[in-house]
Amino acid sequence: MYKKQAIKDYGREISIFYARAVIALIIVTGLLLLLFVRQFKLQVLNHESYQTQSENNRIRIRPVAPIRGLILDRNGVLLAENRSIFTLEITPELVGRKKMDATLASLSELLAIDQKQVEEFKEQIKFRSKYKSYPIKSKLTEEQVALFSVNRHLFPGVTVEARLERFYPHGEELVHAIGRMAAINKQDMEKMEQAAEASQDFTELKNYAATTKIGKLGLEKYYEALLHGTVGQEKVETDVRGRIVRVLERQDPVAGKNLHLHLDYGLQQKANQLLKEVGARGAIVAVDPETGGVLALVSQPSYDPNLFTGGISQANYSALITSEDRPLYNRAVQGTYAPASTIKPHLAWIALQHGVIDRKTRIADPGWFSLPNNEHRYRDWKPWGHGASMNVVDSIIQSCDTFFYDLSVRLGINRIFEGMQQFGFGDKTGLDMIEEKAGIMPSRDWKKEYRSESWYMGDTVNIGIGQGFWTATPLQLANASAVLANDGIRFQLQLVKEFADNGAIEVNIPKMSPEQIVTGDGRWLDTVKMAMHQVTLPPLGTAKTAFENAPFTAAGKTGTAQVKSIAQDETYDAETVEDRFKDNALFIGYAPFENPKIAIAVVMENAGGGGGNAAPIARQLMEYYLLNNDSKPNANLQVGLE
Amino acid sequence: MLKSFSQNPVSNTHKAKTNILWRLHIDVPLLIGLLLLMGFGLLVIYSAGGESIGLIKRQLIRLGFGLGVMFVIAQIPPRILKMWSPFLYVVAVGFLIAVLLFGIESKGAQRWINIGIRFQPSEMMKLAMPMMVAWYFAEKALPPNFKQLVAGLVLVFMPTIMIMMQPDLGTSLLIASSGIFIIFFAGIKWRYILSAAVAGLVMAPIMWFFVMHEYQKGRVLTFLNPERDPLGAGYHIIQSQIAIGSGGVSGKGWLKGTQSQLEFLPERHTDFIFAVLGEEFGLIGVAVLLALYLFIIVRGLQISLQAQDTYSRLLGAAITLTFFVYLFVNIGMVSGLLPVVGLPLPLISYGGTSMVTLLAGFGILMSIKTHRRLHSR
Repeated sequence: MYKKQAIKDYGREISIFYARAVIALIIVTGLLLLLFVRQFKLQVLNHESYQTQSENNRIRIRPVAPIRGLILDRNGVLLAENRSIFTLEITPELVGRKKMDATLASLSELLAIDQKQVEEFKEQIKFRSKYKSYPIKSKLTEEQVALFSVNRHLFPGVTVEARLERFYPHGEELVHAIGRMAAINKQDMEKMEQAAEASQDFTELKNYAATTKIGKLGLEKYYEALLHGTVGQEKVETDVRGRIVRVLERQDPVAGKNLHLHLDYGLQQKANQLLKEVGARGAIVAVDPETGGVLALVSQPSYDPNLFTGGISQANYSALITSEDRPLYNRAVQGTYAPASTIKPHLAWIALQHGVIDRKTRIADPGWFSLPNNEHRYRDWKPWGHGASMNVVDSIIQSCDTFFYDLSVRLGINRIFEGMQQFGFGDKTGLDMIEEKAGIMPSRDWKKEYRSESWYMGDTVNIGIGQGFWTATPLQLANASAVLANDGIRFQLQLVKEFADNGAIEVNIPKMSPEQIVTGDGRWLDTVKMAMHQVTLPPLGTAKTAFENAPFTAAGKTGTAQVKSIAQDETYDAETVEDRFKDNALFIGYAPFENPKIAIAVVMENAGGGGGNAAPIARQLMEYYLLNNDSKPNANLQVGLE
Repeated sequence: MLKSFSQNPVSNTHKAKTNILWRLHIDVPLLIGLLLLMGFGLLVIYSAGGESIGLIKRQLIRLGFGLGVMFVIAQIPPRILKMWSPFLYVVAVGFLIAVLLFGIESKGAQRWINIGIRFQPSEMMKLAMPMMVAWYFAEKALPPNFKQLVAGLVLVFMPTIMIMMQPDLGTSLLIASSGIFIIFFAGIKWRYILSAAVAGLVMAPIMWFFVMHEYQKGRVLTFLNPERDPLGAGYHIIQSQIAIGSGGVSGKGWLKGTQSQLEFLPERHTDFIFAVLGEEFGLIGVAVLLALYLFIIVRGLQISLQAQDTYSRLLGAAITLTFFVYLFVNIGMVSGLLPVVGLPLPLISYGGTSMVTLLAGFGILMSIKTHRRLHSR
């Protein structure tokens, strides 16, 4: 390292740089000239040839929409299919600005298009490319297609396109279970474009190049990516007006995957019928306790999803959103109701596990409960009480409130909260449906955060009978019922069982592996389950009438939730109370008792008592399912019949 | 110290015109050139994107962001940029290694990594490369000797090869040229340049058989014979030439290009936007575009010539010429002079993170122009 570093010669450096910059500029200018000469060659020397090629350019590549996957029930009954419909479409550029109004006028005369649709169409094309075609009327009848075809020469730029569109053969019976589709609107488009740009991945956007509808709700939305399929391409030759003359080459689209559900369409239909017969607003969820598969998911009143696929009319839409019965609202997964007495078995189990009570613990029930040093009386539903000596089994069978008031105070909110969380209360079950609500499982923290108040002992008392701040969805209740039926093992609830892809079937793997929640002595579980069994039996079960002469064994728990709070000295009289303030009727249960195949929750708004209203519906559904379950014939029924 | 005043005739008048834009470190001619190009670009995007307002809005947001980045970088004096150069380079190389090891794969290329946000380290390298090579040569006695030349080439080709492996041919080409331009301006002897050219010719067949990916070979073959793949890349080339050629001298008029509007042209608003411009605005539009580009390049070289230190001079010139490579490759590709390489038309094409990097580069040029010591050292 003795050699000294060469000394910088700034003068030389700059003159070299100067020379090289000049050389660079000369090269750059030369290459820019080369580019210009190239364009000159294309645009001036060969202009005519390219001009002709451009005019004759009748070959274009256009995207071909894939066929959307079907939705089928467990027995292969079609729940969502695709039907061919005819749509009248207009390409503004081919019609011409001046002739547009005249064309629209004579079209609407010919095919009875109402003025509103014409206005909407005009609005739709305002800021869009004039060279694409836009639908003006969908679902043309055969006669209308024929009528248009005869007069086609009068309408350049107007075409009839055959498209596949989603169709729900069972209409309103299934919309709350499988969802629905609608046209891709501006916001959907923006969202997709933004997502594509954020990730610099445009495959998804290109995949929708020929698609006009998208899943908006339920399974249609949740499994959009699977159902949609992959876009194809075709090279087509068109005439001067842009109409396709023939297809030259084609790369077929890949159809979407078919969804096979756990759902049993027959059970779903029956559940809808039963609710409709009594005219109740409410929800029913049935689950297979051995898999977590959802067998039925019903919300009434309902609506026809087919109204939305072709674009719903304003009149229909406002009728739906203004209806007092709120048909758009999915009560099964979004309705949050006080679970009332249906959670008494769970509460009893938690208390037994913690050793707060045992099977022999007895209390006297004078018809009310009060906290120490407090006048307030928490009343039992039976005004004169259940008698001097009630243990936990009696209290579940007869739904004794006083016993559970006392028990919840002894257990304390923290332990109740922890235990109920394991049954899935206060949290989404994770069903494959985005719209699901979590309900509220109250705790000290919850009250502090959402009510800015500390927890009072009185709050705990109300929790003992599933009232107060506590709310749960019918789906959560069915889940909680399945956990008991399954001896404390909780499965991920799922609507979709598997997808089929050109015949190859892939099982839809649940997000949550089965969770074992039973702790401690198994006998405690038996105690609770035996009590639930006796709920359905004489002499004292609250659901004994509903399950009279049932050809199977069952377990259950009734619930009757107050909607309106009753003042201290008031009495509730079903006759005088306004309809909307009547009690909600609830029932959870499973059957057969020894070897459960179906767990169920029924919630009926303002229907009255759970034993008299909800339990009979549950019983009929259990009976239907156990007698008609093709996949496992008679075997389980015999177990139930013993 | 010797200083050439002849090349810097305006420096004495600077004290007098200390206007606001100067204090904000903005070079007005350069800014005007950039804005004119962007405006032209928006017009073409509106037409090519099927008259979508949403597309224009998002492009405006992106341009605004890019100009913001440019403005911020213009505030940083060149000596600070110089100080950061090695650090930036090392970090960028680190990220490139990370991409190769555990990058996100998308469409057969592994170019992104996720560090809270998804980003493309090769973008960072586009600036880090010329900064590093300029830093390396700035303190050396120039022209460089053979040893320094070899060191410089190692600095250039190490990241370039890593980016080629992702694979991303277009970006590696840009990054390699930005480093090579610095070496060129540092005064590398002509005989080295000649030997490199000869070596390149020898290397070409070796690259073809051992280095290039199938899809890259396919592109070259398709370029030589578009009919080979008339539904794929060949279709792009055929359709874009028809679009440009049918535009003629004055073009078919804004929003009236049948090739573009009828969707014969793929990638209309991104890589192939030049074809839409050529179709709708004709040879006149092309001439205006090329003139605007030439204006920006001349201004960039002028700023570099007036730079006060070696680092700024080398860096400024390399940034300017890399900008030229961008547009030359894109226009060459769209008009059928070069094979298809996925590079956008700078400041015109819709979208791309590359726009922000490009404007950051112009921020450096503005910084070089406006951070001047008025007295000699």
